[in-house]
Amino acid sequence: MSGARRGGAVPRPSPSEVAAWRARMPRAFAPAPARRALRWALGGAFLAWLAWALWQFGFTPQRLWNGLSGLTTILRLMVPPSPGEQWAEILRGLGESLAMAFLGTLLAAVIALPLGALGARNVLTVGLLRFSLRRVFDGMRGIDQLVWALAYVRAVGLGPLAGVLAIASADVAVLAKIYAEAIENADRRQVEGIAAVGGGRLAQLRFGLLPQVAPVILAQALYFFESNVRSAAILGVVGAGGIGLQIAERIRVRYWDEVAFIILLLILTVAAIDALSARLRRRLIGGPGAARA
Amino acid sequence: MLELQGLTRRFGTVTAVDAVSLAVPDGQMVGIVGRSGAGKSTLLRMVNRLTEPSAGRVLWDGRDITALRGRALRDWRADCAMIFQQFNLVQRLDVLTNVLIGRLNRRRGPLAGLTGLLGLFTAEERARALGLLDRFGLAEAALQRAETLSGGQQQRVAICRALMQEPKVILADEPIASLDPANAEAVMQALRQANREQGLTVLCNLHQIEVARAHCDRILGLRQGRVVFDGPPAALDAEREEAIFGDTAPAAPGPSGPARAPAPPGAALVR
Repeated sequence: MSGARRGGAVPRPSPSEVAAWRARMPRAFAPAPARRALRWALGGAFLAWLAWALWQFGFTPQRLWNGLSGLTTILRLMVPPSPGEQWAEILRGLGESLAMAFLGTLLAAVIALPLGALGARNVLTVGLLRFSLRRVFDGMRGIDQLVWALAYVRAVGLGPLAGVLAIASADVAVLAKIYAEAIENADRRQVEGIAAVGGGRLAQLRFGLLPQVAPVILAQALYFFESNVRSAAILGVVGAGGIGLQIAERIRVRYWDEVAFIILLLILTVAAIDALSARLRRRLIGGPGAARA
Repeated sequence: MLELQGLTRRFGTVTAVDAVSLAVPDGQMVGIVGRSGAGKSTLLRMVNRLTEPSAGRVLWDGRDITALRGRALRDWRADCAMIFQQFNLVQRLDVLTNVLIGRLNRRRGPLAGLTGLLGLFTAEERARALGLLDRFGLAEAALQRAETLSGGQQQRVAICRALMQEPKVILADEPIASLDPANAEAVMQALRQANREQGLTVLCNLHQIEVARAHCDRILGLRQGRVVFDGPPAALDAEREEAIFGDTAPAAPGPSGPARAPAPPGAALVR
């Protein structure tokens, strides 16, 4: 604070002062020349790569235009949406999808919680075990839900069971990773508080850690449930039960109005789940004082 | 001149600030003291309308601030710079950019908004920010991220940002509550310096009464949202201090809360 210059609010620097500052701290005015050159080079390389990729995939305005007109034909056929003759079938499929998503997510979350805890640095201190567990998560994450579904359809046969198992298998690893990270980011001091009262290892987890990560656990599980209702529509296409089968059949025979009806139904269902889970989150997580884990 | 007329803010059933009326002549440094929850922050935040008043008006040179909207409101906010307890710097941006942010609402011209958003500040603006940082001994830290600085340094960067706004008023909301004594003194002196040299009006929330005594022209005591003292530091005697900080509410009949000896003057640290 010493050596302050007297004078107006912030004196407007004269050109010579600007030049003096530029000489003293050139990096405050512009990045280093080498850095700027690198930026331009990287930017140019990215644009070239993008152009090449678009060209490789045949992104021509012609094809996009044709595709658009094909899409409008389908959209025209979708209006007005109609339930067709098989109301009961559609509702059954929707119910099945909901059940698959719910069971699959629940199963995944229940398995992911202990796995996530084991994968967290601050819980499992045995490095090698944790490392191998993390790599198993990575491996499982590399396999998409659809691939799991195809495998389970062969293994346990057509139907919703394959769907439930596919959803659970695909989500366990992702949820475990998210839970492990939430646990690692938890505040140490709160756990230390439990240790300081003489609490054991499990008591520390239960009272120091769980209340901190419970909101993440619940919020992620609810989000995965909602997302799985949407993907349950795809699983049906490969024979893993649910509404997807109904959609696939109708697309095959070009009953676009009925497809549109099912899509609208799905949108409504997802919106309802979203609203419900938002209420649930508010109730269970809420503000300070509202949560009790 | 800054005037508050019957300024009131209610949160649900709680009245945080209760009909505060006040006139602050230009260039005055006012220390607002009171216990936690006395309404100091709310009062300050209503002046630049980060919190909207429930009733009452704020006037600047006779102009009704409470009626401003959009562009005019943003201009007013640029006119009264705010200093926060937790500094409110953008942690991941470098110090220089944090200070340059103070210019955002001061740039004029057709492309000023766009170049501002892109961070394309002029050489003159950069030199001005560096000059300011240099005054606070921080020029060498200009290219570091704000989060790498200590609390005291961050608060000085925040003051630089405030001065870049070329404000008419500085609102300082507990500017030293998170700082150690040496840094606290440096920050208070910087505020006093801006007040004396540039004639800025300063409203400063404090919970340490001795700091307010040492640095302010005028002290405003707030209790349960009401002004219970308004005068020069010399007029604030032990009895009046008790009225601001003491355990017995002035209006409440009989004792409320456990009996406690009145705090000795000059030692009323409330936290």
